[in-house]
Amino acid sequence: MGLILRFQLRQSISLTISEPGESTSSEHHPNSNSFLRGLQVALVESDDLNRSVTRRLLEKLGCSVTPLSSGYECLSAIGPATSSFQVVLLDLQLPDLDGFEVAARIRKFRSRSWPLILAMTSSSAAEEDDLWEKCMQMGLNGVIRKPILLQGIANELRRVVLQANRVV
Amino acid sequence: MPLHHYRPPPNHGGITSTQQQQVTHQPPAMDVLSQSRRQLADYTNSLHRDGFLDDQFSQLQQLQDESSPDFVMEVVSLFFEDCQKLVTNMARALSELQAVDFKQVDSSVHQLKGSSSSVGAARIKNLCVAFKTCCDSQNRDGCMRCLQEVNRECVLLKNKLQTLFRLEQQIISAGGSIPM
Repeated sequence: MGLILRFQLRQSISLTISEPGESTSSEHHPNSNSFLRGLQVALVESDDLNRSVTRRLLEKLGCSVTPLSSGYECLSAIGPATSSFQVVLLDLQLPDLDGFEVAARIRKFRSRSWPLILAMTSSSAAEEDDLWEKCMQMGLNGVIRKPILLQGIANELRRVVLQANRVV
Repeated sequence: MPLHHYRPPPNHGGITSTQQQQVTHQPPAMDVLSQSRRQLADYTNSLHRDGFLDDQFSQLQQLQDESSPDFVMEVVSLFFEDCQKLVTNMARALSELQAVDFKQVDSSVHQLKGSSSSVGAARIKNLCVAFKTCCDSQNRDGCMRCLQEVNRECVLLKNKLQTLFRLEQQIISAGGSIPM
C-alpha cells in the first residue's frame, strides 16, 4: 500500500553551506540565514492569506516551500518514505484534523525525529507554557507564534535545524 | 542642480493676479519623482501614525521584490475578500431571529483577527479584541455595533490603501521603483 505523492517537489535545490564572504541581495545578514537556503519545507496552513504571507517569508529566506492547506493533504504529502521534507510548519488550528493529531501521525509513520515539526499557533502568551510542554511531549521541535515575523521564523528555524544537526 | 526659475505666462487680456498664481509650470522629471517619493513617505507615515497600519505591513512591503512585484497588492486583495466573506457571515449569524450562534460569530472574529494581524491592519485587529469580548458575553447588540465598526474600518482602510497604491504607481510612472 503506497500513498500517492500529489505534489511536485522541487528536486533541483539542495541544502548548501555558503562560502565565507558570500552574500545575496535578499539577506540582511549574509551568513546567519544562508543555511536555510534550499531547506525543504512543508507549510500546512488552512487560511489562504496567512499561507501566502508565510510562504513568501520562507521563500525570502531561501527555503523551498510546498504549501498545503489541510491536515489530510499534509499527511498525504509527508507520509511516503520518499518525501524529502526536512521541516514541517504546522498550523495547530486546522479545520479538518487537530494539529497535534497530524503531528502524532507523522511521528508514528515517519520517525521520532524527522522531519522536524514546528507548530504555528495564535495562542496568547498566557497559554504558551502549557502549549510548549504539550508540543515537546508530542515530539514537536518548536513553536512559532502568529503573526509570523521574518526574524522570528528565521531564528526558530535556525535553532531547530542546528539542534537536530547536533544530535546527529 | 540648477534652480528652476518660475516664469509666469504672458498676461493675455485681463488675467487677474490670483489667476496668474494658480497657473503652474511643468517641473523637470527629477522633481516629479522626488515629490512623489515624498508624498508616498508622508502618506505611509500618516497611516502608521493614525494606527491604520503597523509593522506587519512594513514587513509585507519588504517581502516584495522583482520576483514577487505585486505581493503586497495580492495579499491586500486577499484580505479584503476575507473581510467581505467574514462580515457577511457574521451579519447573517447576528440577524438570526431565534438564538444567535455566538460560536460561529466568535470563529469569524478569530479568523478576522488572524488575517488583520498578518497584513498589519492594526485598527481592525484591535476591534476584533473588543468584538471577541462581546461574543464571549453573548451580547448581540454589542456584537452588532462591533460589526458595524469593523465594516466601516474595512471600507476606510481599503480607500487608504488604494491611495497608497496610486502613489506607488506615480513613482513607478516617474521612473522610480518600489520598495524605495
